[in-house]
Amino acid sequence: MIAEALAAQKEGWRYTPAATLTGPDFKPAGVPESILPLAGRVLCPVGFHRAALVNGRWEAKHAVLKLPDGVTVEPLARASGLEELLGRLVPDDLPLAKIASAARDGFVVRVARHARVDRPIHLVHISQATAAAQSSQARVVVVLEPGASAELVEETLSFGDAPSWKNVRSQVELGEGSFLRHHRIVREGTQGRLTVGLEVTLASRARYESHALNFGGLFAREDLRVRLEGEGAECALNGLALLGGSEFADHHSIVEHAAVNGVTRQLYKAVIDDKARYVFDGLISVKPGAQKTDAQVYNKNLLLSEEARVNTNPEFKILADDVSCKHGGAVGQLSLEALFYLRSRGIGADEARRLLVYAFGSEMVDRVALEPLKLALADALHGRMPEGNL
Amino acid sequence: MLKITNLHAKVGEKAILKGLSLTVKAGEVHAIMGPNGSGKSTLSYILAGRPGYTVTDGTAEYEGKDLLAMEPEIRAREGVFLAFQYPVEIPGVSNKYFLKAAYNSVRKHRGEPEMDAGAFLKFIKEKAKSVEMDPAFLNRSVNEGFSGGEKKRNEVLQLAVLEPKLALLDETDSGLDIDALKVVAEGVNRMRDPKRAFVVVTHYQRLLDYIVPDHVHVLSGGRIIKSGGKELALELEKRGYGWIEDKVAA
Repeated sequence: MIAEALAAQKEGWRYTPAATLTGPDFKPAGVPESILPLAGRVLCPVGFHRAALVNGRWEAKHAVLKLPDGVTVEPLARASGLEELLGRLVPDDLPLAKIASAARDGFVVRVARHARVDRPIHLVHISQATAAAQSSQARVVVVLEPGASAELVEETLSFGDAPSWKNVRSQVELGEGSFLRHHRIVREGTQGRLTVGLEVTLASRARYESHALNFGGLFAREDLRVRLEGEGAECALNGLALLGGSEFADHHSIVEHAAVNGVTRQLYKAVIDDKARYVFDGLISVKPGAQKTDAQVYNKNLLLSEEARVNTNPEFKILADDVSCKHGGAVGQLSLEALFYLRSRGIGADEARRLLVYAFGSEMVDRVALEPLKLALADALHGRMPEGNL
Repeated sequence: MLKITNLHAKVGEKAILKGLSLTVKAGEVHAIMGPNGSGKSTLSYILAGRPGYTVTDGTAEYEGKDLLAMEPEIRAREGVFLAFQYPVEIPGVSNKYFLKAAYNSVRKHRGEPEMDAGAFLKFIKEKAKSVEMDPAFLNRSVNEGFSGGEKKRNEVLQLAVLEPKLALLDETDSGLDIDALKVVAEGVNRMRDPKRAFVVVTHYQRLLDYIVPDHVHVLSGGRIIKSGGKELALELEKRGYGWIEDKVAA
């Protein structure tokens, strides 16, 4: 079923190695015999509200939720009153999200009118596959009512040596004047596969700040769909992928400006080493009547090896006449001038390279406003710096 | 301190240096003057170890060691410093962090303990003051968005921090107005020391009004064709380079 669904997706999957998903004989993941502790495994600092899915099922042992009034975080299996949202059709070009729609469990986060979450909410997606190849499906629903605000950190991880695949359908509904910071940290390891279809809709003056941060994994693809439905809505889409070995990451996004005065600022960066591959496809679509749209989409890539590959395609489709739209893509290598400058001051060649790579990536980490998370991400960035053999 | 003998070098297939010899002793300030394209910048870059040049003949000894065999960072740690004509912008690396990394790598090489962040900050602020640099520049990315004068001032700040034994100044005066030139020259003069040598590469005599050299050399066609005292610089200013080049050709 999955192979057929993907085979039908010629256009958006041209550079995506679907065989990584269809190759292993994935079986639906069961409940693992023992639940591994999260301490030392998650990157996100403790002290946040926390909930976790293990193999697509809500794991009560991991939940740490003392939420203020007006805020709920619950398993999908128990949530009610979401029929309309859950029943919404998936776009035809998101076949995997369609499959994930059938998931019975997941996260549901709701923030009531004008409520504010006191601390960030950490949602952990864990695969635990030890023997055979296992796949799991999950849904994520986030609803912010008008004027509400929240900070969300989703982290995806794989434990165990066997192939695993998490397939997630996420829906984010942002009411009028609401504000969501949404961080997605991918750390999948050498056997982990992740596919996410994330649909976000913004009502008037809603703001969505997104950080798609990929710290490695065999295969990770995110299809992000943002629809600025109400006037004056704003989204800031930030992305970073740090890839080495034979890792693959794919950031597909479509931002639809459907109302006047919408703002989009999109910048995704990738550092690609060894035989890793990265795909960026970012379309901003300005609908008729979406005047005064102010949108930018940029993708910048740093290739660190001869065999590293990137396919980048930032683009616009504009059907309104009074708009400001800018886009650009860049693929480069480390500046030899900068390397020599650093070395001429006594900084060793390897350290100079790491310093330059770090500097390239740190721009995206610096955009994370949550201070404890930013520090953890900076450490993780350090940990992903290339070794001396460049 | 520095002994260059019969140095020949090329960039790609083009010969730039054609038998250059120069001896610099500790405590001395040498000026190397010459017309555009004479090989001045090539000489600076080769001494600092920039990739892209091929030495085809000759030697350069620094404190009795083969300078040309050392990696650029080793030369720096051993005390060679090049103030760039065009300092490089490095977005995302703060000036402060850069200076600390450089300073500590030099200290480590000398077997001295690394300085911690707090102590270094205090140290660097003093140094910045000495070259009249706004401390705000320490938090900015290395040279990014700096004016020409600010970049040169940043080079002199690095010079003051790293305290090299041999400082090569490549066209440090280019792009500077007279006030900036004075600040830069004062920064250099403060560093003059019986144990330290300077090689000042310049097209114009103007800088040498402020950094007064002990020796002046004329570089032309990849060789030093005339050497003299500081009065040679004045003569060059008055008469240009043509008369020496003609004399050598004849």
